[in-house]
Amino acid sequence: MAEFRITDTVDITDVVCPVTFVKAKVALEELEEGEILSIHMNDGEPVQNVPRSIKEEGHRVLKLIHNDDGTYDLIVQKTEA
Amino acid sequence: MTIVVAGERKEYADGLTVEELIEAEKVETPQYVTVTVNDTFLSNAERASRSLQEGDIVEFLYFMGGGTIPSLCASNDL
Amino acid sequence: MRMPVLRAASFERNSMAFTNEQLERYSRHIILKEIGPKGQKKLMKAKVLIIGAGGLGAPAALYLAAAGVGTIGIADADSVDLSNLQRQVIHSTADIGRPKVESARDSMLAINPEITVHTYHEYITSENISAIIRDYDFILDGTDNFPAKFLINDACVLEEKPFSHAGIIRFEGQLMTYVPGEGPCYRCVFKEPPPKDAVPTCREAGVVGAVAGVIGCLQAMEAVKYITGAGDLLTGRLLTYNALRSQFRTVPLPRDSHCAVCSYERTIHVPFDYELPTCDLK
Repeated sequence: MAEFRITDTVDITDVVCPVTFVKAKVALEELEEGEILSIHMNDGEPVQNVPRSIKEEGHRVLKLIHNDDGTYDLIVQKTEA
Repeated sequence: MTIVVAGERKEYADGLTVEELIEAEKVETPQYVTVTVNDTFLSNAERASRSLQEGDIVEFLYFMGGGTIPSLCASNDL
Repeated sequence: MRMPVLRAASFERNSMAFTNEQLERYSRHIILKEIGPKGQKKLMKAKVLIIGAGGLGAPAALYLAAAGVGTIGIADADSVDLSNLQRQVIHSTADIGRPKVESARDSMLAINPEITVHTYHEYITSENISAIIRDYDFILDGTDNFPAKFLINDACVLEEKPFSHAGIIRFEGQLMTYVPGEGPCYRCVFKEPPPKDAVPTCREAGVVGAVAGVIGCLQAMEAVKYITGAGDLLTGRLLTYNALRSQFRTVPLPRDSHCAVCSYERTIHVPFDYELPTCDLK
């Protein structure tokens, strides 16, 4: 449901591993602590790896939304390590 | 006594001077080598009078330019 | 249907904008916590001057170009010689006879066309050094002779520029990093250049190409660390490498409170040239 106040969005469907994570990481770098990023990604490798890598960086994964078109939106709250 | 010379522990007789150590260690072109004892520079003039003590750490610092060979030695780079 | 989400007023956050190609090219840097997007941006804005396109300068230039250092200056008066190619890996056989700075520039741009390369096809002297180094953030000494090394040291101290000093000979190499106000300079350690032929520079000394590669890469690493702020520099320390023993050592370097150029008792106020030692055997 519409419960998140998204600060910014990034589309990583136009790149492949490992640039998927890199692009998401760069977008997160632009945010302030506590702000929320929506990461639009493809099924398969990105959805398997990017959420895990984001968690390993110490950020909070709030929700993974499965869209009807098969893509995903990963909602992440920036958390400083 | 045990002293540390260029990172290696060595046994030498008590009272050894830095000058004597330089000779014993066969340091090449010693007049152009910078010596530190316990991380402090020692001037060339102090070498004969400075006696080393148990646990002293001695380093020899060498000039290092480049590996040129004679026909190229006036060039500007390595 | 996409989930409806509330969006804050959208505004452009362009300061960190990388192209997808840049994200891919520099992904191995950006992934590193110690470098990250901010560190990569710093590299892309940085200006590094490499003096000497030889054994040390060659690997350093290649890695700094690959790393995306935005502006690289390369200074060398010489042309590529067949005997250079054993270690000066930025030049190729086809470059023999070309100015080294041109060959080096071509190699760097072939690796990374995004960067800017400035070439200085001239000897670095007391006349031109201050004006040249002034435009750069970090200087890398890849010269082979002591007059040049003392000149670079003095000019960098006087212009308050950080620089990496290095030397190599036979199977050995060493390097240190000077940062203004933070540690000893080269002249703290060595007061004066040795008289010609006093130490084996011009005579009977060779060097293994890979030793130049090791030390030149370490100089590039010092530049990357200085620019990004990652880790600890070789300030107040001399890193020595002995290839035959497979040994690295770090020797603490004190400051000389009487240093002729970096202490309060400074007697050197402008850069000057020592006589370039010419070799008897030439």
